[in-house]
Amino acid sequence: MEQTEKKTGWRWGVHRWWVLAFIIIGFYAAKAYPPIQPHIQLPAENVFETGLTFFGQPFYITNTILAMLLADVIIILIAIAIKRASMNPDALPKGISGAVEGLLEGLYNLTEGTAGKWTKFIFPVFATITLSVLVWNWTELIPGVDSIGWLEPAHGEVHGFEKEELWSGFYTIVESDEAVVADDVHAEDSHEASNGYLIVPFIRVASTDLNFTLALAVIAVVAVQWMGFKALGPKYLTKFFNTKTLFSVPIFGVIDFAVGLLELIGEFAKILSFSFRLFGNIFAGSVLLFVIGTLVPVVAQSAFLMLEFFVGLIQAIVFGMLTMVFMSQATESHGDDH
Amino acid sequence: MEGSIVIAAKLIGAGLAMIGAIGAGAGIGIVVSGAVQAMGRNPDVTGTIQTNMILGIAFAEAVAIYCLVVALLILFVVGN
Amino acid sequence: MEALGINLGYFFVQLFNFLVLFVILKAWVYGPIIKMLEDRREKIAQGMEDARVAAEARANAETEAEKIVADAQSEAAQVVREASQRAEEVARDIKAAAEKFAGEAANEARAGVAEERDALLGEVRGQIAVLAMSATQKLLGENLDEKRQHALIDEFFSGVKDGKVVIADGAEGDAVVTSALPLTDGEKKSVEGTVKGSIEFKVDPTILGGLVIRVGDKVLDGSVASKLDTMRQNVK
Repeated sequence: MEQTEKKTGWRWGVHRWWVLAFIIIGFYAAKAYPPIQPHIQLPAENVFETGLTFFGQPFYITNTILAMLLADVIIILIAIAIKRASMNPDALPKGISGAVEGLLEGLYNLTEGTAGKWTKFIFPVFATITLSVLVWNWTELIPGVDSIGWLEPAHGEVHGFEKEELWSGFYTIVESDEAVVADDVHAEDSHEASNGYLIVPFIRVASTDLNFTLALAVIAVVAVQWMGFKALGPKYLTKFFNTKTLFSVPIFGVIDFAVGLLELIGEFAKILSFSFRLFGNIFAGSVLLFVIGTLVPVVAQSAFLMLEFFVGLIQAIVFGMLTMVFMSQATESHGDDH
Repeated sequence: MEGSIVIAAKLIGAGLAMIGAIGAGAGIGIVVSGAVQAMGRNPDVTGTIQTNMILGIAFAEAVAIYCLVVALLILFVVGN
Repeated sequence: MEALGINLGYFFVQLFNFLVLFVILKAWVYGPIIKMLEDRREKIAQGMEDARVAAEARANAETEAEKIVADAQSEAAQVVREASQRAEEVARDIKAAAEKFAGEAANEARAGVAEERDALLGEVRGQIAVLAMSATQKLLGENLDEKRQHALIDEFFSGVKDGKVVIADGAEGDAVVTSALPLTDGEKKSVEGTVKGSIEFKVDPTILGGLVIRVGDKVLDGSVASKLDTMRQNVK
């Protein structure tokens, strides 16, 4: 970015001066309020204090649920736009609905190339997974996600930060000398404030909550099994309990049976790898953004945002495409290809 | 003092766990190199190759993801 | 599990959220999009089909045009051929008629000429005999019996002696009798008496005397010319 500035700086243009202005403003902003690496934790934070009990487990409205609802709103808006666009089929595809239509058309052709006659059943699952994961992942790029939220006192061993009032009712956290904080704590004799404050963001990317990726993985794997039963009927089970050659072929029958059991285990391993792949990529991406934002507050994060843009896209497509490929593999009769 | 030793050990352990990503990186590189060569030789089947390439990458990447999960477990779960 | 943040409640929230999204998207997005894609594909296929049909029709029209042109050409050629054939026929007819006419005319003329010549020769026959007799008288210096002389000369010319054809004893079939001078009716009669079958009489002065009788493929040569020839051969 800056190199481009230097090379073509003698020319007059609008956008490059905007970029330069933003860089300078960012520089001063980072100087005034240095970015603080947020507290990183795996479970989602509770946004509202009041909670329910669900199957013996506490249930709060977490920031990932809010992110999920935000993503739902975006997806439903897109759906409405596409529905409206499909009302008059003569109109040229344009805008966001046109782009999503193009994406879905690509996915449809891909599914048709892989799945053949089962496309009608596989495509909706594939497309829904891809679209929702895509929107989840890209909510990470919205400014304010992961950074605007309640200011709450830190609990336990977590090291918090001091708060500073920007204007009435709005605060930011600032780095401060720990000793000073400790002195203040002792002076005020307030246990809660002993560790300073943390931000609990209103919205945290849904893909960084294991519950959500796990649920999506379970849906994907269940869809794969459903597709297998739909295509092959009860014969699909012989893939896992391969008793065809167990008694007729002396040793290899047993081996085949064991391989079938391994396939069964593999189905559960699919759940794990699906959920942890998405979770790991996006969680690592957001941690990367935190760290880079803290280390180099001004320009570097832009490049990493672009990287995260692509990672989010690729992970969405990989999640969907793996589901699609597993589903179309499940429709194929197992015993024939050996 | 003991706590900081534990923290240090956790950090080192997480770093060591991520060494496993080397294999996944090399594996993905091999997969993509083979796929790109195949596409160069036979551009007509690019679609099929891409699908299988992404599948292979996903399987190779799964190993790195397991490493990442272990590292995250060590960092955030074990001993907290 | 707790430290990973896995919580059954959140899990189910996401599960049902996904199902709701699935149903909404299936109803609002996938139906129309799949329909649109199918329509577009159908339209493209229809367009291809139309193009194919049009191309086929054009090819058909081209072949038909070619066929028509070829038909017309062959028809024209046929007409021309027939016309020329007819013209040739007419020409041939005309030619044939002309030739026939010419041939008839020529034949008539020839026949007239031959008759005239025969008549002339018949007229001069007596004088030739008188000339020959007087020449022989002069040469021999003796007077032959005139009647006998006439018989000799007649025999010389006609090869008929005592009412019999000397050379044509017993010949059968159609005969062509050639004599140096026209035969008299009596001679003809004696020839007819000798030769069985129809007889054509011809006159050819080059054989000098005697008769040449052709019966079928057999030639009985009693001519003086051939006798002289044989004599010439013997003298040599």
